[in-house]
Amino acid sequence: MNEFADQERIDPLDQALAAVAQDVQPSRDLWPAIAAALGEPAALRAQTVHHGIASRLWLQLAAGLLLIVASSFTTYFVMQRSQQRDAMLAREEAARQSLQAPALPVMPASFGGTESLGSGYAQARASLDAEFQRRVAALPPTTRTRVQSDLAEVRRTAADIAATLSVHPNHPLLQELLLSTYQSELALLSSVNEMASATETRL
Amino acid sequence: MNMSVSIPSGVLAAALLCCAAIVHAGDKVERTVAAEARGEVAIVNIAGEVFVEGWDRNEVQVSGDLGGDARLDVTSAGGRTSINVINVRGNHTHSATDLKVRVPRDSALSVNTVSADQIIKDCRGAQRLQAVSGTIATEQWEQELEARTISGEVSIRGHDGVAQTTVNTVSGSVSLLGGSTQFAVETVTGDMRIGVRETGRGRIRTTNGELKFTGKLARDGRLEAEAVNGDLDFTLREPVNAQFDVETFNGDIVNCFGPKPVKMREYAPGNALRFTQGAGDARVRVKTLNGGVEICRE
Repeated sequence: MNEFADQERIDPLDQALAAVAQDVQPSRDLWPAIAAALGEPAALRAQTVHHGIASRLWLQLAAGLLLIVASSFTTYFVMQRSQQRDAMLAREEAARQSLQAPALPVMPASFGGTESLGSGYAQARASLDAEFQRRVAALPPTTRTRVQSDLAEVRRTAADIAATLSVHPNHPLLQELLLSTYQSELALLSSVNEMASATETRL
Repeated sequence: MNMSVSIPSGVLAAALLCCAAIVHAGDKVERTVAAEARGEVAIVNIAGEVFVEGWDRNEVQVSGDLGGDARLDVTSAGGRTSINVINVRGNHTHSATDLKVRVPRDSALSVNTVSADQIIKDCRGAQRLQAVSGTIATEQWEQELEARTISGEVSIRGHDGVAQTTVNTVSGSVSLLGGSTQFAVETVTGDMRIGVRETGRGRIRTTNGELKFTGKLARDGRLEAEAVNGDLDFTLREPVNAQFDVETFNGDIVNCFGPKPVKMREYAPGNALRFTQGAGDARVRVKTLNGGVEICRE
């Protein structure tokens, strides 16, 4: 019962709030300015709005264009790097496979006159030629002359084909015939060496 | 040391050697040794001539005229008979020795000569013949034959039978007629005349030699020819059933079978002829640099 009696009692703060004024009068009349603003021409407002819309469209267009360009460059760089990476991986794989694969025999030949003969070929040829010079000196003079003439002919032929091949470097027939002529030269040298030694040891 | 003793001994020895040489010089010799029917006979002669003939005895008989500085060494053991003409003075000046050797007909034969011609008849075993500055003339039956010369012609007459023939000359011509179905012929400057009955496998190569080929291609036969400067002529016996692949760099191509050669490249020399005649079972492949090629039927 006492609680109800306390609530019914008037609070001093409420009394102070009730004493505050409910509205404030402006120091001047604001309506004329508001009415002038409301009376502004519609075309002017429309132009302002249109200008704003156009500016936004241009900005959007520029932004889109920038986005397209940026994404294109991004795609290009990503693809470029990807291709480079693929190429690098392919090269590494090829190098790895070439290391694992058995070595192919070197084909000694001078194609086109710009490449020197393989060192193995050159050594074999020099060795055969040195022995040939010893063997041929022991042959009868007439035979020696003919053999030396034939060897010179084979070498001249090889030089001619090599010279022609330098003019037509990708001609398969010339390559084939040049290789064959080199083989003929080696066959001639080894044939003379073998046959001369076969009879010489029996002297 | 002991010069007073050794000089008379040396003089005596020289006198004896001289007498021995006189005994051999220009002597007619004849030796006969037992041999196997299918054994091997090896002959070496420096200068002169070697004539070998097959017979039906199991003996090797050697006869001939020895040159002035030569002696004859004949040995036979283990199925192999060796006949060596040895130069007594050991230098490279030789007087000619002519030998006539009879061997069992089916013997394998090996002959090496220098400045000596070889003539071989009725020897039916395998033959391996080499001549430096000398010709080779032989016959071939069913066994393989290899002939090589440096500055010497090779002539082979083949008889019926499947055989393999290999000929290699440096500057000597080659004549291979009859018989062989498989052959490989190579020359540097020598010309080649090949007239085999039927070609199963043939390979021809020359640097500056010329070729005249006559023959029939076997079914599924293969014939390959290559020349740098020489002309290659083929006369083929009917029926011709082959695929042809001919190519030259500068040479002309004549084809009696009809199809014409075509230029291979716009900016480089080169003519090619590729065609099929008949069933096309066999293959003919020809390559030259400057040599011409002619293909005709007989």
